[in-house]
Amino acid sequence: MERIRKNLRIMLLAFEIEMRQNLTDGFVVFGILIQPLIVAFMALWMLKGKGPDYAIFVVVGSGMTGLWTTLLFNGGNSITGERWNGTLEPLVASPASLRIVVFGKVLANVAQSLGSMIGSYLLISLILGYPLTLERPVLFVISLFFTVAALVSFGLILASFFILIPDFARMVNTLEFPIYILCGFLFPIALLPGWTTPISYLLSPYWAAQALHGAAQGSLTTVQIMGDWALMLAFSLAYILASGRLYRVILRKARADATLDIMGN
Amino acid sequence: MLNRILDNTRIFFEGAYYSYRALFRWLNPATYLASKVFAPLTMMIFFVYIGAYASGSNSASYYVIGNSLIFAASSGIFGVTMSVGGERWTGTLPYLFGSPANRGAMFVGRAVMHILDGMLGVFIGLGWGMLLFGLDLSRSDPLALIVTILITTFSTSGLGLLMGCLSLITRNVMLVNNTVYFALLVFSGANIPVEQLPGWMQVIANGLPLTRGVACTRMIVAGSSLTEIMPLLREEMLIGIILTILGYSLFKVFEFQAKKLGTLDIF
Repeated sequence: MERIRKNLRIMLLAFEIEMRQNLTDGFVVFGILIQPLIVAFMALWMLKGKGPDYAIFVVVGSGMTGLWTTLLFNGGNSITGERWNGTLEPLVASPASLRIVVFGKVLANVAQSLGSMIGSYLLISLILGYPLTLERPVLFVISLFFTVAALVSFGLILASFFILIPDFARMVNTLEFPIYILCGFLFPIALLPGWTTPISYLLSPYWAAQALHGAAQGSLTTVQIMGDWALMLAFSLAYILASGRLYRVILRKARADATLDIMGN
Repeated sequence: MLNRILDNTRIFFEGAYYSYRALFRWLNPATYLASKVFAPLTMMIFFVYIGAYASGSNSASYYVIGNSLIFAASSGIFGVTMSVGGERWTGTLPYLFGSPANRGAMFVGRAVMHILDGMLGVFIGLGWGMLLFGLDLSRSDPLALIVTILITTFSTSGLGLLMGCLSLITRNVMLVNNTVYFALLVFSGANIPVEQLPGWMQVIANGLPLTRGVACTRMIVAGSSLTEIMPLLREEMLIGIILTILGYSLFKVFEFQAKKLGTLDIF
C-alpha cells in the first residue's frame, strides 16, 4: 500500500513537471493546436461531399492526429530533453521507478493533447459554422478515457526506445504519418493494401480511432464499440506488462553500453 | 578586385558546404533516409489516400505532384532556416558577425546545398509517385520539369532564408518553421486547388512561393511546354528573389541591432 502511494506521488509529480515544462514550449502549441487545425482544415476541404456526418469525422480524425503527434514528439522529446539536460542518468539512478516517471510524463502529454480535439471542434463548429453532433456522447466520452489509457501505455513502450537509442529522436519523423495512415484516422483502412490490415489491428490507436469515429457518427453498435474498448484495454494491459520487462532489459543495456548521456552520433 | 571576388566565391561555397554538413549530420545515411526520403513519403501517402477516399483513386497523380513539390519546401524551409538559425544555437553567431566575410556570400551560400538537396527530394517524390501510384510522366518535357523544380526550390529557399533570420530573434524556431511549412500545404495548392479557396486565401496563396511551382508541374505532367509555363515560372522566380532580398536585409538589420544592443547570445 505504501509502495502504491509513493508511486502515485512520483507519477503525479512527473505529470505536473511535464505539464509545466510543456507550457513554456512553443512546439507543444504546434503539436496540440496548430497542426491538427491545419490537418482538420485540409481534410474538411478534401472530404466535403462524403455525407452529412463528415465534419464530425474530421473533428475526431484530426484530433487523433494531434494526440498521436503530441505523444510521439513531446513524449519522446521529454526523454531526449532529460538526456540533453544531463538529467537522464540521475533519473535512472534514483530509487524511483523510471517507468512510473515516464508514465507520468506521457500521461501529461496525452492529457494536454486532448486539446487537439477540442480545438478542431471549435474551429469546425464555431469558426467555420458546420453543424456538429455527437451521435452517442456517453459512449464517446467513455471511448476517450479508453483512448487515453491505450495511448499512454503505447507511449510507455515508445519512450523506452528513446532511452535505449540516443539517435531515435531523429527517426521519429518517420513514425508520425504511418500511424495516421494505418490507424484510419482520416480514411478507412479498407483503402490500404490488404497486407497492412494485420498491422493496423496490432496498433491500439486503430481501435481508439474506430471507437471514437463509431461513437461520434453513430456508425457502430454499442456492442461493437464495447468490443473496441475491450481490445484497447487488452492492449493497454499487454503494453504495461511488457513495459515492466522491457524497462529492466533496456536500463541494463543502457548502463552496460553507457549510452545514457550520449546525444547521438 | 579579382582577389575579392575569389574570396567571396570561396566563402559562398565553403559556407554552403560546411553549414549543410554541420547542421544535419546527413552523412549518416539512416538519418538522411528517415528525414528526407521516408518521412515525406509517408506524408504523401497520407494525403493521396485522403484524396482517394474523397474523390476516387484516379486523383492520385494530383496529390502525388503536389506533395512531391512539398519536398522542396521541406529542404527550403527547415534546412535553410536551421542553417542560419543554428549559428545562434551553437554559439557561433558572434564569430560570424565578427568576421570580415562578405555577408551576402555568407548568407545566400547557406541555401545552395539545400536547393540541390530539395531538387533531389522532389525527384525522389515523383519517383515514389511513379512506383507506388502510377504517376505518368510520359508527356512531360524533362527540361521544363528540371527548370521548374530548380526555380521552385530556389523560391522556397528564399522563404527559408527569411525564416532563418526570424530564428535569430525567436526561441520558438520549430514552432514558426512547422507552422509555415504546414501553411504551405494549405495555401500552395498541393492538396486543395487554389481556385477553391476563399478569396482572401487565394490572395495569400498567390503571394507565396511554391504555388506557381505546383501549378507548373501539374501543367508539365499534362503535356505543357516550357514556353507555356514560362510566365508562371518568372513570377515564382521573382517571389524567390524578393524573399531572398528581404531575408538578407533583415539579416543586416538584426546584425546591426544585435551588435548595438549586445543581444547576440541572448535567448
